[in-house]
Amino acid sequence: MKWGMVVDLSKCVRCYGCVVACRVEHFLPMGSDWPRLMAVEPDRNGTPPVVSTYPVRCNQCQEAPCVNVCPTGATYKREDGIVAVDQDKCVGCRYCVVVCPYQNRVFLTKSKDKGFFPDRGLTDFEKAGKRLYPHQHGTTGKCNFCMERIDAGMAQGLKPGMDREATPACVNTCQARALTFGDLDGHDSQVSRLIRERRGFQLHPEYGSNPSIYYVDSPKIGMVHLGPVVQGDVKESLAERM
Amino acid sequence: MEAHEWMVRSTYQTEWITRRGIFLWLAMYAGGLGGGLYLVSLYFGSLLGMLAGLLIVAGLKGGFHFAYLGKPMRFWRIMLKPRTSWLTRGFIFVVLFVAFAAVQIALSHWLPGTVWEILFKVLAGVMATGVLVYTGFVLNSVKAVSLWNSPLLPLLFATCGLLGGFGVSTMIALYDSQVDLHAAETGSTFLLIVNALLIAVYLWRAVRRDETGKISVVDQMRGKAAPAFWIGVIVLGIAAPLVVALFGYFSGEVVPAVLMTGVICEMIGGLSVRYCLLKVGIYRPLFSRPSYLNP
Repeated sequence: MKWGMVVDLSKCVRCYGCVVACRVEHFLPMGSDWPRLMAVEPDRNGTPPVVSTYPVRCNQCQEAPCVNVCPTGATYKREDGIVAVDQDKCVGCRYCVVVCPYQNRVFLTKSKDKGFFPDRGLTDFEKAGKRLYPHQHGTTGKCNFCMERIDAGMAQGLKPGMDREATPACVNTCQARALTFGDLDGHDSQVSRLIRERRGFQLHPEYGSNPSIYYVDSPKIGMVHLGPVVQGDVKESLAERM
Repeated sequence: MEAHEWMVRSTYQTEWITRRGIFLWLAMYAGGLGGGLYLVSLYFGSLLGMLAGLLIVAGLKGGFHFAYLGKPMRFWRIMLKPRTSWLTRGFIFVVLFVAFAAVQIALSHWLPGTVWEILFKVLAGVMATGVLVYTGFVLNSVKAVSLWNSPLLPLLFATCGLLGGFGVSTMIALYDSQVDLHAAETGSTFLLIVNALLIAVYLWRAVRRDETGKISVVDQMRGKAAPAFWIGVIVLGIAAPLVVALFGYFSGEVVPAVLMTGVICEMIGGLSVRYCLLKVGIYRPLFSRPSYLNP
């Protein structure tokens, strides 16, 4: 079993729901974004702007460079493919932050963690977060596919990707159904079918990190980013826009 | 909410050069200088130089690393993953170097000429070489930064460290007769030329590697790291020490003030080389920019 995610770029409506859901789920302090949305919105001199959105988060690489370089073993890979961080072991060297080719790890400092309303004290939500999901200053953090939800859900016999209680918060929240979660090893799982049928691609496969997050795009609407996946009809679609 | 455009374009690494990252830059330099000085002093048989090298690695390098870490009191955990992490290997090199060099210096002082002294000289020398080069491997392992992704980097760090070692040795030669000033100056001059050639080849290869490598090099020469490169690396790090060395070589005179100026310039050069490498370390964009969006 290897958990993975498929991001449908043609469906993402840039609502930032996944970003907010993650912040709520993990009580993320300010200055610590686990999922992020990258947006390109060029000014095309009066013509309607072409907006493209790329939801990114830790790719949970199967050959994770961060796991290899971590000198303390704080970053480790679980049997289900999730790359997690044990903040009690992290020494704060930031080697993992630097080595991540996708720049999806964050280093939390005290100066960044000033609260949602600096100089006005912590909100009740933040106080609860400090108690329930403490993030240690001077250590790194990143998306962990909501492994606590997955573990708790599976203990109850639920199926991640199918049952909400066992599925990552961002996937549950995505109103456009742009995120799909499931078992990459399962031949008939939804993620495997999406990757197979819509030619899912990973980011920068040349690094050999083998990410567990795949992207799919719509030939009609979406943007195409990587050379190897450009299809004929996409090229035509782009030509029409020109 | 902010639209993150930063990973659409090439993005600078900042963790290891801005804010507390400055300590890491200084630690890298101190490791090179201390390791290089120890090896050069080992060659000359200068106890004073060996002791200085040991103190630089143990005190300065160790102190800077300690100041940099987010959780410094957990530093001992760094030694737990030698199989895959160059940081662990580097930590082991540093710890063993400090231990072996301390024993060797004590043996050289009180029990010179014994088998144990020779053994510890070899052990400490091997560890000093490790201290000298491991930071090159640490940077080299970051695949997404084109500028660092070169096998020449450990070699460049080694020559930079040895150059610093020879530079400080010329100063030590004024107080310690064990160090042959002429030999130290010759070594320094030779390494200056080798270093200049290595830097040129390194940058040329980075330009040819890919677009991001080219951006790094252009930025180094014309962008925000340009003053550090032209003034720090080229003028102070290479040209000025070379002039000082040639002056001493042809005039045959030893003017301590001039010698000191050359050594300080060399040290600024060593610091600048590492600063430039860290400052213009740029990641490849996460997504390629669609061609129809380009102007």
